[in-house]
Amino acid sequence: MRKTIHLATIVLVSLPLLFGCASDSTSLMGMTRESPLEVGLTSLPEVFASSDSETSFTFKAESDQLLVVFFGYTMCPDICPTSLSDFRAALRRMGSNSDRIDLAFVTVDPERDTAEKLIPFLSTYASRFHAIRTTDFSLLKSVQDKFLVRSSVTTDESGHVQVTHTGTAFVVNSSGQVVSELPFGIGPDGMENDFTVLLNNIENGDK
Amino acid sequence: MKKLSIALAAVTALSLGTAACGSSSETSDTTIATAPEVAVYTVDGAWARTSPMEATMGAVYLNVTSTLDDALVGASVSTDIAAMTQVHETTMNADGTMGMQEIASVPMMANTPLALAPGGYHVMLLELVAPLEVGATVSVTLTFASGGTTTVDAIVSEEAP
Repeated sequence: MRKTIHLATIVLVSLPLLFGCASDSTSLMGMTRESPLEVGLTSLPEVFASSDSETSFTFKAESDQLLVVFFGYTMCPDICPTSLSDFRAALRRMGSNSDRIDLAFVTVDPERDTAEKLIPFLSTYASRFHAIRTTDFSLLKSVQDKFLVRSSVTTDESGHVQVTHTGTAFVVNSSGQVVSELPFGIGPDGMENDFTVLLNNIENGDK
Repeated sequence: MKKLSIALAAVTALSLGTAACGSSSETSDTTIATAPEVAVYTVDGAWARTSPMEATMGAVYLNVTSTLDDALVGASVSTDIAAMTQVHETTMNADGTMGMQEIASVPMMANTPLALAPGGYHVMLLELVAPLEVGATVSVTLTFASGGTTTVDAIVSEEAP
C-alpha cells in the first residue's frame, strides 16, 4: 500500500507545533520570520481585460492596508480554488475591514493563463485584485525567489500539462515585508485571524 | 448530510449458490457454498466546488465507506458535465511545491471512511462543459476494485457543506 501524507493532514498536525495555538486575539496563525521576506522592491506586469496594456505592479500594500499574494494557475482544480475560496470567505466575515485587503494573483502558468482567463477567474473570488502575468520566466523566477516560491510547468508524454507550485499565501505590508505566510489549509478562520490582527497592528502604529 | 447506500449483488455469489443447489445424493461429501459478502457503500458529504468562469477544471469531494476491504478505482460523470473524470491526489513534493496526479487505485479499509477532501484525494472533472454553479448537482458514479459501483449527487457550493 502506497503511503501518502496529504497536505491538509500536514497543516493540521504542524500548525500548532510550529506556530503555537492562537489562543488570543493578537496571535498570528501564519508563519512569521525573525527576518521577514522583503518583496517591496520587486515588480511584475499587471494585466487587464479591457486592453492590451500592462502596468508594473510592485509587491507592497497601500498605506494602512495589506496585500495578499498567491501563486497559482486558473486550471488548478484543487489547491488554488480552495485557497481563494478561503480568502473570499475570510473577507466576507471581516465586513468593511475587507476593503483594506488587496489581492495579487501571480500565474505560474502564463502561457495558458491569458488576461482573458485571469480576470474572470479572479473576479469570482474578489472585487479588488491584481492579475499578475509575465511570460519572461527568468523574471518570474527572480520574483518567486524573493518569496521563496517554486513552480514548474511540464508536459508529459501524453500531452498533459503538469503544474506544481508552492501553496503558501503571503501577507505583505506597505513596507513590502511579508508579515505572515499562510500555509495551504489554514482556512478562512486562520486567514481572518491574521488579517484582523495585522490590521489592528497597523492601527496601533505598526506598519 | 445526504447518504446513499447501495447493496451490490455479486454475480459470482449467485453462480456459486446455483451450483450448490445441484448436490447429488450419490456422494457422501457435503459441499457448502457460502455466498461471498456483498459490499455496501455509504457516501456522505458529497459536494463540488463552484468553478470560476473560464475555469475548465472542477473537483468533487466526499467521504465513502465500504463494508469490505476494497479500493476506489474510478469515477465518472455525464459528458454533459465534463468530458473526462479522474480520481486525483494532491501531494506535497520534496521541494515544498504541491502537485496533482491521477491515481489508479485508492485502497479502502473495511468500515473506514475514505475522505476525498481539498488538499488530498478528489474526483477531478476535466473540460467542464459549463461552469459549476451554486445549487446545481453533479451525479458522480464511483467504481470499486470489487466491481461494485455507487452513484451520489454532489451539491455544488462555494464552501464545504
